[in-house]
Amino acid sequence: MGIHRWRLASPLALATALVLVACGGSQGATPPTQTGALNLGVIAPFTGPAAEFGTLLTAPCLAATDLINASGGVLGHQVNCTSIDDTGDPADAVPNVTRAIATTSNFDFAIGLESNTAATTVPLVNNAKIPFFTTNGLVSFTKNNFPYYYRVTPGDDANGAAFAVWAVQQGYKNAAIVFQNNIGSEGNLPGLNAAMPKLGGKVGINLTIPADSASYSSEVARVIAAKPDVLIWSADPQTTATFLANYKSLNNGVLPPMVTATDSLTPDFFNAVTKVVGVDYVTKQIWLVGSYFDQTTPAFNTYKNALLADAKTKDIAPVLSTVGPPAGAYDGINIMALAMIMAKTTVGSYYNSYILQVVSPKSGATVVGNYADGKAALAAGKSIQYVGVLGKPAFDQYHNSAGEFDANKFNADGSATQVGTISGSQVLQLLG
Amino acid sequence: MQLLIEAIGFGIASGAVIALGAVGFSVQFGMSNVLNITYGALMTLGAYIGLFLIDRGISPWAALAIAGVVVGAASVAFNRGLLAPLVRRGTRAFAIVIVTVSAGVVLQYVIVVFAGPDAKSYGEQSGQTFHLLGMVLTASEVTIVVLAAALMLGLHLLLTRTTLGRAMRATASNRILAQSCGIATDRISDIAWMLSGMLCGAAGVALAITTVSFDFSLGAVFLIPMIAAAVLGGIGQPYGAMVGGLVVGVASELAAAFTNPAYREVVAFGILIVMLLVRPHGLFGAAWATRRLMA
Repeated sequence: MGIHRWRLASPLALATALVLVACGGSQGATPPTQTGALNLGVIAPFTGPAAEFGTLLTAPCLAATDLINASGGVLGHQVNCTSIDDTGDPADAVPNVTRAIATTSNFDFAIGLESNTAATTVPLVNNAKIPFFTTNGLVSFTKNNFPYYYRVTPGDDANGAAFAVWAVQQGYKNAAIVFQNNIGSEGNLPGLNAAMPKLGGKVGINLTIPADSASYSSEVARVIAAKPDVLIWSADPQTTATFLANYKSLNNGVLPPMVTATDSLTPDFFNAVTKVVGVDYVTKQIWLVGSYFDQTTPAFNTYKNALLADAKTKDIAPVLSTVGPPAGAYDGINIMALAMIMAKTTVGSYYNSYILQVVSPKSGATVVGNYADGKAALAAGKSIQYVGVLGKPAFDQYHNSAGEFDANKFNADGSATQVGTISGSQVLQLLG
Repeated sequence: MQLLIEAIGFGIASGAVIALGAVGFSVQFGMSNVLNITYGALMTLGAYIGLFLIDRGISPWAALAIAGVVVGAASVAFNRGLLAPLVRRGTRAFAIVIVTVSAGVVLQYVIVVFAGPDAKSYGEQSGQTFHLLGMVLTASEVTIVVLAAALMLGLHLLLTRTTLGRAMRATASNRILAQSCGIATDRISDIAWMLSGMLCGAAGVALAITTVSFDFSLGAVFLIPMIAAAVLGGIGQPYGAMVGGLVVGVASELAAAFTNPAYREVVAFGILIVMLLVRPHGLFGAAWATRRLMA
């Protein structure tokens, strides 16, 4: 009886196995190989009003790939940074990213996919089975079903709550919230509105403004009438400069202190705003709140030195190295590259399942803070735990890892200094 | 009430800049019947010429005049070199519009090549403000309003009190008839493009002064409100463009003052649509056409 059943079952089992293999089960099958250099997609705006994000994200890509290539590449492949211009507009992002996926050879990993376009670009890249570390802060990705998605920076709602914590810590209780009408800026609002009353503060006025208007005088008049003691702000450099210039004119030269995101910790923001309201205000009255990371670790020094060593990034290294999202992108590249080595393949559908293994704590694991050390440890047959510029990533089931927050101030030369920290657990409590 | 008055003041200030550009756009359209989308990029060119001059110590108002002349000359060259040949060859109006869109994009990115994509500024504004009937305007805004009014008055006198103005109106009204009356229509056309370009360049600098911070997309962003103002006033009608500019400016500021500012332009353009439903030829369209025929 058993024999007959086996005879009957055997061709079925064989057929099933053949179908499974043909359908490309990722685990257990022989890892495929590729030839030539690998392309790391930097999916970001390189043109348009948000073009500075392209620069911000290309820099960590160059820093990471310089180090990776200097240590022999990934499984013998050199790695190139490939700019994919999403223009910050979903209408352009979809065709541009689709084309890049279809035409770029060895497109094996990606970074970027920022807030303005993430809702459209994340599904595209995920469906192409390309693992990616995104810098978007959209709350909608706090819970998601994209297996190739990873984020090591906080969601915008958490950022908003962190703005409130910092403003209240400085003694400001009546906030004017002014955000540009884009998805990235407005994502901060729910957290801010939830946190401010819980902290004993209030929102005196809450305005959403369009970008790049000829004047914001009417909006400024409304804000001044609310008598705020702090301006909680999120907008592009040009909009910020115009708004503050109008404010200064209409308020007898007096500007309120500002709390904004570390997204604005850029040369473009510093130059545009200092030119119209002066260095004194920018260096003394603007706080920039974002992801915290220790700037004294060996991992940070390796990152900063790599930025300083590349001619294309050395000028912006002092500022850029202190900003969370680019550092997260740098860590993400190292993590993906190490996962490729662990998986013995550069193909995303195979190495994706190794990404969490690269960062998970394991007894006896060698803690590494850069690609070269990780590669050497793996070659020596050791297990590794990557602890990078942003510290230890602790991914939840949705591949999000938020961490702590800090506040920074600009220095007169446009670089930045950390001036305080904000507990990540306090922020999460305020959101709860 | 105070906010209402203040918003009207802010609207007059921004409307003056829109009117400057809209009048130039309207003069040029009235003369050539070409919807010149390159106008926005030429305005950006004016702003960057202003930046070049101000960075070298020239006052913003002198820079405004010089930028006006340079953009005026560029405008004439653009018409002579590109649009006029296309018109002579019988190119369809829609294709010409596309050519002007393309030329605008090319010019915009030529500016980026020379000046870079980052935000620019003419520098800190003086903190001086003027209070008039409850309105609060900065020194720059007052100057721009006065300048715009003076240029409008000058244009009015040119069009109505001089032989050149009559020749321009005759050419705009009926080019062949004007030619048969002995008017050198090509020369008149050049002068109209020069005038239009001068207003365009001046509007670019005025806009850069008002916005305080700007980049290469400056003209493209403000082209739409300017075209709206020109259409609202009655396309091709300079006086209509003046009023249209003020309506768009004031409506936009009132919307920012009393509604969600994110929709300031939505409100302004909503008013535009409603007004055009009521007066399809714009505020001054039919009246100006009648007067033009009678003049």
